[in-house]
Amino acid sequence: MLCDDCKKKPATIFFKEVLPEEVVELHLCEECAHKRGLIMTKKMLPIEILQRLLREKSVEDEKIICSVCYLSLAEFKRRGRFGCSNCISTFEPYIKNLIKQIHRSDKHVGRQAKLGPKKGFEVFKLREQLKKALEKESYEEAAEIRDKLKTFEVDNAE
Amino acid sequence: MLNNIEWLVPSDDKVKLGGEDSEIVVSSRTRIARNITDIPFEIKMKTDDSIRLVKLVRSVIGENIKGKYLDIQKISPLEKESLLECHFISPAFLDIDKPAGLFILDKGNISIMINEEDHLRIQGLSYGLNLTNISSEVFDLEEKIGEDLAYAFNETYGYLTSCPTNLGSGLRASVLLHLPALVFTNEVEKVLKGAVQIGMAVRGLYGEGSEIKGGLFQISNQHTLGLKEEDLIESIVKLTHMIMDIEKKARNVIFTKARYEFEDKIFRSLAVLKSARIISTDEVLNLLSAVRFGIGTGVIKDITLGVINEIMLVSRPANIQLYFGEVLEEHERDVRRAEYIRKRLSGKSKITKSK
Repeated sequence: MLCDDCKKKPATIFFKEVLPEEVVELHLCEECAHKRGLIMTKKMLPIEILQRLLREKSVEDEKIICSVCYLSLAEFKRRGRFGCSNCISTFEPYIKNLIKQIHRSDKHVGRQAKLGPKKGFEVFKLREQLKKALEKESYEEAAEIRDKLKTFEVDNAE
Repeated sequence: MLNNIEWLVPSDDKVKLGGEDSEIVVSSRTRIARNITDIPFEIKMKTDDSIRLVKLVRSVIGENIKGKYLDIQKISPLEKESLLECHFISPAFLDIDKPAGLFILDKGNISIMINEEDHLRIQGLSYGLNLTNISSEVFDLEEKIGEDLAYAFNETYGYLTSCPTNLGSGLRASVLLHLPALVFTNEVEKVLKGAVQIGMAVRGLYGEGSEIKGGLFQISNQHTLGLKEEDLIESIVKLTHMIMDIEKKARNVIFTKARYEFEDKIFRSLAVLKSARIISTDEVLNLLSAVRFGIGTGVIKDITLGVINEIMLVSRPANIQLYFGEVLEEHERDVRRAEYIRKRLSGKSKITKSK
């Protein structure tokens, strides 16, 4: 029996659907069954899509480099990972499509990070500076840093 | 001496009951990935950056949040295995060779992996169908930490992650489902294919690449970009309810058709657990599956799902060694596991924090 759709290849798939009004029976070859979406091909996971898309390389890749962490687009494609929070801005024109294919979306719509100074990080950095200043025995500098640290403690008390 | 079973003791009271809808939903988990601006991501980090990151996060968490900190480089391989079995760490943490840590909050259900693939992996686990609550607890913690640290964020792509597959919300939410009736009636593949069609991933008990055992299936979101966190969580909860309905129907069909055969299988499984002298982890999982089925269908009345959850956790290969406080070879482990289960099912030998 030949395929009902293409009438060329032998029908290997028999499809029957019982609808309220009628019974649909189809004899199809594998290719036409795919076309009608009757065979589910294994869905690819995002990580598999990523790995596949990263194989598409270009000679330009070595020249496109993140200005902060110096990751090249070529290395990004080799490892499949970003090097810092700036990489995405550098690589965006080249990986826009990749991100869209992975997520079926190209725009974040969820929670927003709160901007502004972060007390924890500032205090941490000041303490690092203080330690260095004390190691160098530059006590004047250390005193200044201590004063800055105090302002954070006052903020905290309020 | 191994006596570090603190993280084995579920301090969440719900474990004892098994949680809501726990006759089908074993547990709910959420994790969010966050990185800190100004610190390089994993592949560009030097040892100094790792040390700095761990110090920074510890200084922020230590001041605001009560919990226990574990230095991953300082704990034994066995303890790491146990943390993995308890879902506190990922397989990547097992043979990590850079400064990294795990912070477990006092409540025991929320933890933070520091310096895994992303700077922070904030995660929560709860028994039963409790995805909405556990997720909001995790987000509360994320917000609290976000007051002190600037997360790497981009208006278009949201929270920036090491791997492009986590961009956006950085959120992975999952439920662990027990679907013995759908496995029996061969419908499970069809049901789960439907889940995959709407953008979910289906895996075994221990996530990516793990085998499906004991009728347990983990369903989680595949995409992290373009969906609001709340909507994503709601869609998983809705899908879970749908699958629960189909599983319940299948259970009814099975019981109408072959009640005695199933009761027989359930009680025989329980009998083996109660009297075995040597038992492997896989055998335990399969027998527990039948017993869980028995409790969920009301055939077994004197055992709670909380006890089943506890046995499932404690009888894992590393956990059972920490439970007894001894390093045990495989054969010895099988013997001691059988001993523990016998005692646990006879109502003795509850694990407590004082042990």
